[in-house]
Amino acid sequence: MDEGGRKQELKRRQEDFAVSANQFEARSLETFDASATTMFKTRAATFLPSFRLYSTSQPTKPSIKLVAELRKLTEVSLSKAREALVASNNDVDAALKWLQEDLEVSGAKKAAKLEGRTTNEGLIGMSVLSSGVGSRTGRGSGGVRAAMVELNCETDFVARNDLFGKLLADIAHTAAYISEPADSVNLLKPCSLELLQEAPLLSQNGEQAETQSTVASAIRELVTKVGEKISLRRAATVVQDPLPRELGLRVASYSHGSVNIPSQGRIGALALIALKSPKLAELLASEPFREELIKLERSLARQIVGFSTTTIQSAAGATDEGALYQQPFMMYPDSNGDSVQATIRRWAEERGLREAGEVESGLEVLEFAKWTVGEPLESS
Amino acid sequence: MNIGTIGHVDHGKTTLTAAITKVLSERGGAKFTDYAEIDKAPEEKARGITINSSHVEYETDNRHYGHIDCPGHADYIKNMITGAAQMDGGIIVVSATDGQMPQTREHLLLARQIGVKKLVVFINKVDVITDPEMLELVDMEMRDLLTTYNFDGENTPVIMGSALSALEGKNPEIGVDKINELVKACDEWLDLPPRDLEKPFILSIEDVFTVPGRGTVVVGRAERGVCRKGDEVEILGYGTKLKTTLTGIEMFHKELERAEAGDNMGALLRGIKKEQIRRGQVIIAPGSMKSVKKFQAQLYILTKDEGGRYTPFMQHYRPQLFLRTADITIGLSWPEGTADADDKMVMPGDNVEMVCSPVHDVALEPGMRFTLREGGKTVGTGIVTKVLEYV
Repeated sequence: MDEGGRKQELKRRQEDFAVSANQFEARSLETFDASATTMFKTRAATFLPSFRLYSTSQPTKPSIKLVAELRKLTEVSLSKAREALVASNNDVDAALKWLQEDLEVSGAKKAAKLEGRTTNEGLIGMSVLSSGVGSRTGRGSGGVRAAMVELNCETDFVARNDLFGKLLADIAHTAAYISEPADSVNLLKPCSLELLQEAPLLSQNGEQAETQSTVASAIRELVTKVGEKISLRRAATVVQDPLPRELGLRVASYSHGSVNIPSQGRIGALALIALKSPKLAELLASEPFREELIKLERSLARQIVGFSTTTIQSAAGATDEGALYQQPFMMYPDSNGDSVQATIRRWAEERGLREAGEVESGLEVLEFAKWTVGEPLESS
Repeated sequence: MNIGTIGHVDHGKTTLTAAITKVLSERGGAKFTDYAEIDKAPEEKARGITINSSHVEYETDNRHYGHIDCPGHADYIKNMITGAAQMDGGIIVVSATDGQMPQTREHLLLARQIGVKKLVVFINKVDVITDPEMLELVDMEMRDLLTTYNFDGENTPVIMGSALSALEGKNPEIGVDKINELVKACDEWLDLPPRDLEKPFILSIEDVFTVPGRGTVVVGRAERGVCRKGDEVEILGYGTKLKTTLTGIEMFHKELERAEAGDNMGALLRGIKKEQIRRGQVIIAPGSMKSVKKFQAQLYILTKDEGGRYTPFMQHYRPQLFLRTADITIGLSWPEGTADADDKMVMPGDNVEMVCSPVHDVALEPGMRFTLREGGKTVGTGIVTKVLEYV
């Protein structure tokens, strides 16, 4: 046997040895794991940390390459990736499964550890599934279906991350999707957070890869990845079926300070706009009218966000800076310095939505909600 | 020079900062600042703008460092724009247990954005790691990530240690020694910003006089660099580009041979008429700067509590640009390719990157700071990030 051949043979033998050693360790680990599980069941959870430490000092060597691969796939922390590979005997697929199961437990644990921290950063996300009368897309064309959600975290670094933005978009989508039409006086109503937390997370772009996860478990999963407390602070939805022919409802949205996704920002507003006219269906059939309507809606939503708007109409006689209708409509290019109220009246007349002097028809802002990230909540 | 720590909240930034002051205080180069004191991140006012950041200072054998630590992205950006604490380098802290995290990308993007060219990596909490291969992986991943974000990942020093051990005075081989190693790496790897005296000469013109029998004298402050009597100089800005010679330098009614950064001086110019020059132009070392028609800048718009605007504005807003002694109306617009540019507004309190088009050309370069004013009050402050169009 020549020199090169000998070396090869030697190398092969070493590898064989390594494999068998691995198998041996895996077996011993299995038994160890089984006993550990029973122990875990009988002992209090306080035992867990020491168990974790002990397990990492086991001689089983997870391959560094696989740890790196697993991190690329899932973005879990290094020690978690390592643990998963140890538990699954260096099998990436099994490790992924292990992680999925473990995330429930460790996510909850991590969340409990971070419980006392304050979350003042984050984003407000909006999802408009159907923008109302005249829209051709979305469910129940002509109805309104939209949601606004605030998701908080500890630093704005995390808020700027793609993972955070995607989760928020999915949660907003879910909230808009699961809500039922309101039978209360207000169309825009808060969405129960308990209900939303337990809802299955629906991906906003239709990929249904993670069907098992709920909103709550998806949040816990992100907590383990970024190591910050993340909390779902509030959610509001508006759902309304189409109205009779001469009535129409539209929803306008604007978010300010978006980083990656345009429908998310530090300040967000949803506004409900009502249209009433005998000629409504006729007008909405025209493309230019719809475009102008959308432009006006955007301006209204922007006006609400940009100014310190608190109500729609100020009390009779009082001058209130927070009253939308009394503000100069600076965010609409053709307002000529008029107030919001005067501008939308004129708009309705010029577009034939309302006859001059008539009071029954026209366009009005019915309700709106404006949220700023981290602002103190009104005591409800 | 100024450096800052960037990293995830639990990875030990504050502990590391405390450890550095402790180790260096033993050498007499710092005052020991403990964890609680640093962690407060008090609100500061710089140029009337509120910033959350904490400062410590220390000295190594070669350098004096100002060390800043801010809680969030927005605070670092404000620091950069106002120049309150321009970061010249950074220490990125990563825990060995977690490795880099999703938001580490955001940390590196931030460092890029605020103009930090070189970083030093500190891998913390190695005391709880038993497997050296894991540390290699953290090291490898960090270098990869640095390279992805255009840092020199290959040569960036990566130091592994435990800030806590150093703080508690335990395990010197991963504690104190590593802190010393880190400080040494900062000294060697991070570049000192050039000092004002070493940069090319700039004088911003405040006023112009005619002195009978001598000629035209301009008065102003030397912003940086050094000038000597007899130097060739260039006058730039407001549509002017003239070459001339500095025939005399005067300070406090005394003739001098030389003036340097920080001096308020009078400069006698050869063959120039008073009408040819005006306040706001600059006198520079020939060719060291060009006049600019369009540039991009990072802006911070003051809130109404900071004395700024009450209302938002849209693009095509036209405030006054105050840069050195120049006062020029500029138009602001969104950078090309911004989605919904006509729909996007800027609100008080925002950090935004916008394109500025002054009505007159003005001499500037990236890194120069300015303020935006409207109706006699400051509405924003900014820093030039990119020149888009020269004259």
